[in-house]
Amino acid sequence: MQISEFEALLPRVTKPARYIDGEWNAVHKDWETARVRFALVYPDVYEVGMSHLGLHILYHVLNSHPDYLAERAYAPWTDMEAELRKAGLPLVSLESRTPLRQFHVVGITLPYELTYANVLNLLDLAGVPPRAADRTQADPLVIGGGPGAVNPEPMAPFFDAILVGEGEEAVLEIAEAAALPSRQAALARLAQIPGVYVPSLYRYSPGGPGPVGEVTPVDGAPTSVARRYVDDLDSAPFPIKQLVPFLDTVHSRVTLEIMRGCTRGCRFCQAGAVHGSRRERKLETLLRQAEEAVAATGYDEVSLLAFTSVDHSHIEELVSGLVERLGKQGVGVALPSLRADSFSVSIANHIQQVRKTGLTFAPEAGTARLRSVINKQMTEDDLFAAADAAFSSGWTRLKLYFMIGLPTESDEDVEAIGDLVRRLVGFGRGALGARRGRLQLAVSIAAFVPKPHTPFQWMGQDEMAALAHKQHLLQGALRERAVKLSWTEPAVSALEAAISRGDRRVGAVIERAWQLGARFDSWGEHFEFARWQQAFSDVGLELRDYANQALPLDAPLAWDHIDCGMDRAALRHQADRALRGEEA
Amino acid sequence: MGQFILRYRKDEELRWISHLDLKRTLERAMRRARLPLALTQGHNPRPKLSFGPPLPLGATSDAELITIHLSEALEAGQLKDRLNEQLPPGLQVLEAWSLPVYRKKETFADIELAEYVVSLTENPGAEDLQRRVEQLLASSALVVQRGGERPERTVDLRPLIHRLEVRGEDENSLELLMGLRTGSHGGARPQEVVALLGLDSETQVGRYHRRALSALPRQAGKPGLAQGRKWRRQTRKGSESRP
Repeated sequence: MQISEFEALLPRVTKPARYIDGEWNAVHKDWETARVRFALVYPDVYEVGMSHLGLHILYHVLNSHPDYLAERAYAPWTDMEAELRKAGLPLVSLESRTPLRQFHVVGITLPYELTYANVLNLLDLAGVPPRAADRTQADPLVIGGGPGAVNPEPMAPFFDAILVGEGEEAVLEIAEAAALPSRQAALARLAQIPGVYVPSLYRYSPGGPGPVGEVTPVDGAPTSVARRYVDDLDSAPFPIKQLVPFLDTVHSRVTLEIMRGCTRGCRFCQAGAVHGSRRERKLETLLRQAEEAVAATGYDEVSLLAFTSVDHSHIEELVSGLVERLGKQGVGVALPSLRADSFSVSIANHIQQVRKTGLTFAPEAGTARLRSVINKQMTEDDLFAAADAAFSSGWTRLKLYFMIGLPTESDEDVEAIGDLVRRLVGFGRGALGARRGRLQLAVSIAAFVPKPHTPFQWMGQDEMAALAHKQHLLQGALRERAVKLSWTEPAVSALEAAISRGDRRVGAVIERAWQLGARFDSWGEHFEFARWQQAFSDVGLELRDYANQALPLDAPLAWDHIDCGMDRAALRHQADRALRGEEA
Repeated sequence: MGQFILRYRKDEELRWISHLDLKRTLERAMRRARLPLALTQGHNPRPKLSFGPPLPLGATSDAELITIHLSEALEAGQLKDRLNEQLPPGLQVLEAWSLPVYRKKETFADIELAEYVVSLTENPGAEDLQRRVEQLLASSALVVQRGGERPERTVDLRPLIHRLEVRGEDENSLELLMGLRTGSHGGARPQEVVALLGLDSETQVGRYHRRALSALPRQAGKPGLAQGRKWRRQTRKGSESRP
């Protein structure tokens, strides 16, 4: 009996099902007749990557076209990487087990900063030179996209092109450019597609320490790249036949994208820059898509995807329609993103007729003053009213998100988080009466990370010691049986900030960290800060210039050539208001 | 209405998905097939399914079993056909039969024996292999360490090996036939027996294949309940009579 070399590795790795395909709704197109072949790659492990809707949409769009083919690959876990390297085998696609370098395009999502070392590792495992400048005609075009694309600079050295914004329309234009016979012609054509940034056609002139400097076009490329945007979400392609993984993935359910974009304008948040203004799908469209997707997948849950799902103008009809149509099949509805108000709780209460769901509120800050600074328009009254509605509807467990290290924050603001949570505990005990023992508040404390294209892009992150001090304050203040506290390691947040505000020079740091062994940095067991410190020092840069330093308000920044719809003056205006404690 | 038993095949394509993955996959296929599944009560209603003993990861089988409760009447043949249309390559229902009497979860409790065919890609020769098998069967105890479980523990595999034979036409296509204890009172894994024979599972084994699940033959002095019963549908319609 013959077993392929790749198959022979499977008994030696954990969860071998990460590397097989045959999932329901996977597409196997004929290799020979496809004119342009895409490998769609997610730079994290299968279970995480399969939960990313963006790649499902592109997979669906490309495979629905008669001329194109798309297959998938995910970052192999460290054990599989070791086996591949030992056996001298290249990274292959799931569907046809074709080496990635044989595709025309390797498309890689940039979901968050801590996956960037994985991107380089994936390319290396695929036998594709990680630096774009080292690639030849024989290599595929490496094209990036996703949330990270709004500041493409730290990854600019490794990509032939990066799409800024939404991909469902642009990907077809990209496919045609990739069909051109020469690499050079393809790059020139790509640079003319709205939203596509071709880093090799731009030069970076640093203007000091940190991401201060100017990116300017050469060879007639456009001076600025405007984020790509789908006008009509209702008619945008939606994958009804969603892939159904065998493994238990992060989100094993139908993802129903009800809205895109966010206009709430929280000043720390990049969502508005990445996803633009708010667009909705129509009620009838959504009800039909949900029913068809459940029938096509067999999932027992439909999750409504939006930044704040209760902001949909027909959310009540949508939820009752879904519960009515799907409830009798035992299919539940999940609302992962709520506002903290009693309306949200009443919607959530409606869906728990089928299945119990969790409730999450994000006050973000402990004082009204600081909530004004960040433009989080939620009052304590809203929060207590939401909690009241939740407890009286039977919930005993709430999740709460807060942030520390926000601009203008003092120790009193941090202590106020502790105070607010303790008052919620007291309130909850009173409201729950005999069931008070079951009260649980899961409090998650993140550190503020300054993000490009937000009013807070100029603000420095707290030094790690300051973040540790604030965490310590909260740990002391929240020694409550009913409170479960979790937080992010300050070093992880510092790295996220440094890459998030990185310029082209930070690319060399990422490359060096990868050479030093950085992989899966978002996985606690693999993150080693020392590697990154070493990488910064080897390259001759200071992490704090990127993460902690306040940036000059009037100097050009490394991502200014990317246009995300908010001009500099508008951001600056919001930053000024923030520092005066005024809402938008 | 009623309860059915399905015997299904797990083939080549899906031999790397775990027992839990398999449960999810079958549940979703049943929902796609729009089977009238009877659901449990409570906050998270689930279909009432019960599964036979888990198949070791990497093995294929055509003896896997599941019971399923339906809330509406359906012919066993229809059930099989509708489900097969929705199963991914690598899973196939081979037969379905309805149970005349409502039985709860202990349906598969009397499965005690699993038969495996282990095909070898490399072997030390028929005679040598035969000698190793005889030696192994002649031992009074075969104590091995079980890793992966904490705390690690030792198990005597000898009483769990019910049958072990070398088969094959010629030296190039030798197979091992194993009858191993399985079920809630403990069982042996075919990989463990391969290791006891001094064979390397990674380089010398082509495939582990489970071909049958059954109850143990009657022991002297014990009542002959369900003795030697193979879990396949028998000739008498609508019942699981004995062979």
